[in-house]
Amino acid sequence: MSALSAQRAEAARRTVLDAALAAGTCHIGSALSIVDVLAVLYADVLPRAGAEPHRFLLSKGHAATALYATLAAAGVMDAGEVVAGYCADGGHLAGHPERGVPGVEMTGGSLGHGPAIAVGTALADRHAAAGRRTFCLVGDGELNEGSVWEAIALAGHLGLGDLTLVVDANGLQGLGPTADVVDLEPLLPKLSSFGWDAREVGGHDHDALASALGAPGSDRPVAVVARTTKGHGISFMENELMWHYKSLKAADRPRIEAELAAREGVA
Amino acid sequence: MRDAFFEALAELARHDERVWALTGDLGINLFDPIEQAAPGRVLNVGIAEQNLVGVAAGLAYAGRLPFAYSIAPFVTSRPHDQVRVDVAMANAPVTLVGVGGGLAYGYLGPTHHAIEDLGIMRALPNMTVLAPADPAEVRRATRAAFAADGPVYLRLGKNGEPDVLPGDASFVLGRATRLRDGDDVTLVSTGAILGHVVAAADLLAARGVAATVLHYGTLKPFDAEAVVAAAARTGAVVTVEEHSIIGGLGSATAEALAEAGAGAPVRRVGVPDAFVSAVGSQEHLLAHLGLDADGIVATTLALLRERRPTRSLR
Repeated sequence: MSALSAQRAEAARRTVLDAALAAGTCHIGSALSIVDVLAVLYADVLPRAGAEPHRFLLSKGHAATALYATLAAAGVMDAGEVVAGYCADGGHLAGHPERGVPGVEMTGGSLGHGPAIAVGTALADRHAAAGRRTFCLVGDGELNEGSVWEAIALAGHLGLGDLTLVVDANGLQGLGPTADVVDLEPLLPKLSSFGWDAREVGGHDHDALASALGAPGSDRPVAVVARTTKGHGISFMENELMWHYKSLKAADRPRIEAELAAREGVA
Repeated sequence: MRDAFFEALAELARHDERVWALTGDLGINLFDPIEQAAPGRVLNVGIAEQNLVGVAAGLAYAGRLPFAYSIAPFVTSRPHDQVRVDVAMANAPVTLVGVGGGLAYGYLGPTHHAIEDLGIMRALPNMTVLAPADPAEVRRATRAAFAADGPVYLRLGKNGEPDVLPGDASFVLGRATRLRDGDDVTLVSTGAILGHVVAAADLLAARGVAATVLHYGTLKPFDAEAVVAAAARTGAVVTVEEHSIIGGLGSATAEALAEAGAGAPVRRVGVPDAFVSAVGSQEHLLAHLGLDADGIVATTLALLRERRPTRSLR
């Protein structure tokens, strides 16, 4: 495990929860689900020596706090400003990320948009032989959107090896388990059959994530199905659908602090 | 208009590496000259309009200048969320090109008619809306779209329309073009219907009615000053558009005149608030809806009689 990604993940988890506590907003479980994926991407995968970093598009925009917190851990934003500015009256960070905010490459919030945009940036970079990769993260519930599959079909057809789609497969979506809403499993053979190099990985295992995300496809786009836990890291939120909707109250702070302290003790 | 667009785009693509041409599986053979001029920068994404617009947005985010082509409703209504979020909200330099504006695909029925596109696109922040009148203006509008900083919707008619504007007409983004000067009424036009509007002005002249004719090649940003000045001069305004009377040129005109306190009565000639289920060619449907020269004349004369009942009209 990269010490840097582990340390940044803990910092980001804390920022996500601080921001959620300060703003009293929802989507906490969705954000905690991807903190580790983002930590590995921003610490170990996106940076390029002497060149612009690889691109990252957060398609599941409702996990905005995870992106803001990761950008803060990477030094693009200030963590205190994230907490103060997120969903605050007169603040500068909306509940869904907007293109134009430093470090935010696409406006998220309406699901199913990222993969097509990612095909566009990957095409431009391939044409320019830029050696620059595009990563796009979608939720597993987001795979319900037909537009995702339009992009998956085209990317496979074009053999966009520098495109990587990360699926945050936490198994829960708006009204229940993904398996009960529209079951799209088995995902790996589906993605393979569309011409993708499909890889499955534990979504909180930094070494496995770094390995799966680090290697581009040769002549096929890469899909990394990250098996995650919604609400990961906070025991009473884990795999609890209601933490898609619930907001934290000031009274919750002691038990959050206790969980974070325990995590940091072992980290 | 269609061929003029493809010629202009091939020229732009030849001279600027940033230009890309995308299609949603429409335009057989039309992209070949662009592919020759700009190898590797033409892409058919398939019959997938959400993808068409999303991929175009991604190219724009990477610094390219994509033109995304489809039939007008399929690049405005069908992928509207991608247009709204990926293109307009992001203020991305994507040009969305809709062929078959208005009733150009007459026989193909209301799925292929574009009678709400101008209103839909006009309502989007950051969006520039262009509706050139003839092939020569399409070339100028295509270059203007290329030069624009943000998103553009370019509405084309069909193919083979005659040139209507004078050969030396310029295209200034955001400016209306005055074709005729007259004191009795202002006829306001946008898009390919201009030929009918000019023909109506000629018929009116034969009846002693002198019309000012204003053409809006740019519907947004809207040149309010031009129509307010013309309304002050003529005291009566008729808008003509191959579009619903809701949301397009008639609405923009009425808004501008009302805000200026112009006081001139307005009549909107367009598609009433109904889908066009009548079957027929574009010309048949235009006549059926009172959008041909005779229909425009009839509406204009009725307005003038109402306005100035004592005046004799031949």
